Amino acid sequence: MKALQRFGFWLPVLFILIWGLYILTVRQDSAREQAFTLLMFVGLASSLNILLGYTGYVSFGHIVFFGLGGYSGFYFLSAHNLPLLLSALLGGVVSAILAGLIGLAVLRLRGAYFALATIGVNEAARAFVSNFEPFGGATGLFVNYSVYQGFGGPGPALWRTFIYLWLIVLITVIISYVIKNSRFGLGLLAIREDEDAAMVMGVKAPRAKTLAFMFSAFFPGVIGTLYFFKNGNVEPGDAFSLHMSIEMLVMVMLGGMGTVFGPVIGAVAYQGLRGFLLTSPLFKNLHLAIAGVFLLLIVLFVPAGAIGWLRERFLKLRKVLE
Amino acid sequence: MKGKGTVMMALAAVLCLVLAGSVQAQAPAAKNVVIGFTASQTGKLNVEGMRQINGLNLWMERVNAAGGVKLADGSVVKFTSKFYDDESNKGRVQEFYTKLINDDKANFLVSPYSSGLTDAAAVIAQQNNRIMITAGAASDSTYKKGFTLVYQTYTPASRYLTGAVDILAKLDPKAKKIAIVHEKDKFSTDVVNDLKQYAEGKGYQIVLFEGYDAGTTDFAPFINKFPKDVDAIMGGGHFADTSTFAKQLHEKGIKPTVVALLVAPPEPKFAELGEAAVGIIGASQWEPAAKYSPEAAKAKNLEWFGPTVAEFVEAYTKKFNEEPSYHSAGGFVAGLLIEKAIAKAGSIDTEKVKAALDAMDIMTFYGHLKFDNTPAAHGLQVGHDMIYIQWQKDPKGALVKEVVWPEEAKTKDVIPMPKKK
Repeated sequence: MKALQRFGFWLPVLFILIWGLYILTVRQDSAREQAFTLLMFVGLASSLNILLGYTGYVSFGHIVFFGLGGYSGFYFLSAHNLPLLLSALLGGVVSAILAGLIGLAVLRLRGAYFALATIGVNEAARAFVSNFEPFGGATGLFVNYSVYQGFGGPGPALWRTFIYLWLIVLITVIISYVIKNSRFGLGLLAIREDEDAAMVMGVKAPRAKTLAFMFSAFFPGVIGTLYFFKNGNVEPGDAFSLHMSIEMLVMVMLGGMGTVFGPVIGAVAYQGLRGFLLTSPLFKNLHLAIAGVFLLLIVLFVPAGAIGWLRERFLKLRKVLE
Repeated sequence: MKGKGTVMMALAAVLCLVLAGSVQAQAPAAKNVVIGFTASQTGKLNVEGMRQINGLNLWMERVNAAGGVKLADGSVVKFTSKFYDDESNKGRVQEFYTKLINDDKANFLVSPYSSGLTDAAAVIAQQNNRIMITAGAASDSTYKKGFTLVYQTYTPASRYLTGAVDILAKLDPKAKKIAIVHEKDKFSTDVVNDLKQYAEGKGYQIVLFEGYDAGTTDFAPFINKFPKDVDAIMGGGHFADTSTFAKQLHEKGIKPTVVALLVAPPEPKFAELGEAAVGIIGASQWEPAAKYSPEAAKAKNLEWFGPTVAEFVEAYTKKFNEEPSYHSAGGFVAGLLIEKAIAKAGSIDTEKVKAALDAMDIMTFYGHLKFDNTPAAHGLQVGHDMIYIQWQKDPKGALVKEVVWPEEAKTKDVIPMPKKK
């Protein structure tokens, strides 16, 4: 309960809480859609941070859990008519179990070898789903439009999906904070600094890493199901995009690896900027070039990410920014 | 008295102004109709996406220059467009369509380029009661999901290659065996699943039915499995893999009566394969050589609407310095459908325009257009037929792309694949 007295806990939680409440108050479709995209990436980046930020393991395959979990949840929803929230949670559980199994194999690798293995896992997952008939093979799965009528039409269905996403992202950030400030989290941070030394000091590294991997995989599975439900369909190409995996890494690094608030800020800043450039009449033909230049400048001059830089620069902020 | 006269004159002037104002107010003002869409300006579908925008822009320029469309109340509508780059991925499609409808006040929508993106956009169109014309979304499944405001311009995937089976029947009535090899992606898989069903329904035997992963460069494992007496090879996927497949078929001397492949053959670049291209049949939504005409419409008892093929090709080539592809024609015809439906409905009200689209049965430079209006497959294109092209040699030995099917659009007769000397 100590967390409740800390500003570092309340800052990201209040940020997401107020943001969601604001969207629910203004009740504008455009605002909801924009917030959905941003919140989705906040959730994905925060969940990746549990592995990347706390244990230092660079994963290019985080999208696998978004894809496989999302596919599983969507399958429960479309083929077995389970309720949306239950399907999403089951999608998350499938993701976590898969992460446990994959982790047993790939978490024995370190550094570049681990990173390369995760790219392989992504391609393997895509190939598997493309050939797996219950998941529709290459053509994917879809839900009939009448599914939305069960929610009172597509409008209420999209609002409900948004609320679920908002709550799950809120939980992601809270779990991220709790892990960081727990004994388990300290073990992860020790692994990040020096895995061998951590093991000598009594950290059960293989178990801790696998657990972190499972925690970080659960949330993308839930988010994937919500996202695919909202789109009404899922195909292997959308579910396992390496591009999105890389974007998640960028967002975590932009905000500050290993901080709780960093991935939130990183995701909002990066995706917010991309959204602005894509829709701005002035920049819409140059959005990729401009986003690239921004990233280059940030990587060159603020390598610790926004929150990391603030914590280094202003020592007093360390108590406030987690 | 002088003062009184001045006052009277002033009153008369004011009266004139008021009267003039009221007369002006009686003449309905021109309405602006916004067509909203997302396009694949960047990403893997950018070539197709950009051509589609070009086609739509050309239509808009043409209809506005002609004075717009007159409504039942005497007012005139003119068109403007608003679009965003969806980067060929689904991520922001719903966000952009919501923005187009709510912030940019789009009255009608045109779909993104592919089926997956269109499915996501259709949910938003339905939510906001906006009609969406799809161009480039060929999968049948989109129209079988229960949407009521989505209308297809392209021939659906289920009829994409079925004409090739009819061509085979015409060339060799005794033919029996067909081999199908296809790329494992949504579009190609949808096409060949229906092709298989159609061919089997006609009594053909499918001797091989296999998929390959995107980016495959070696087709020998499939080619080696073809029985020696196979009558037709069908399938393919996208440009690079399909061209390689055609080339390797030629190198291995596999020359059945019909080789019909997806996507690559209609592209002018396919001619670079030289001898390997000869006899290859490809399915295209539309070709500049297609012979749809007001006379053909009359013969079929259909109303003709819009420019002729020659007028469209000339205007497009003049503006964009390239020959239009079927993607360009798809963009143009999406606009043409909206124009025709508004003109017929005499209104821009969604319900009235929807009724006009449901009843539409016309012929344009792009071919016959008619939609399924049953709840099971609402909006599915049932009028338009694929055009089949074949690479043939002219008397001088140069490769020429000829339209060989359907009969009413052909420029040359279809020929069997020439045997290797």
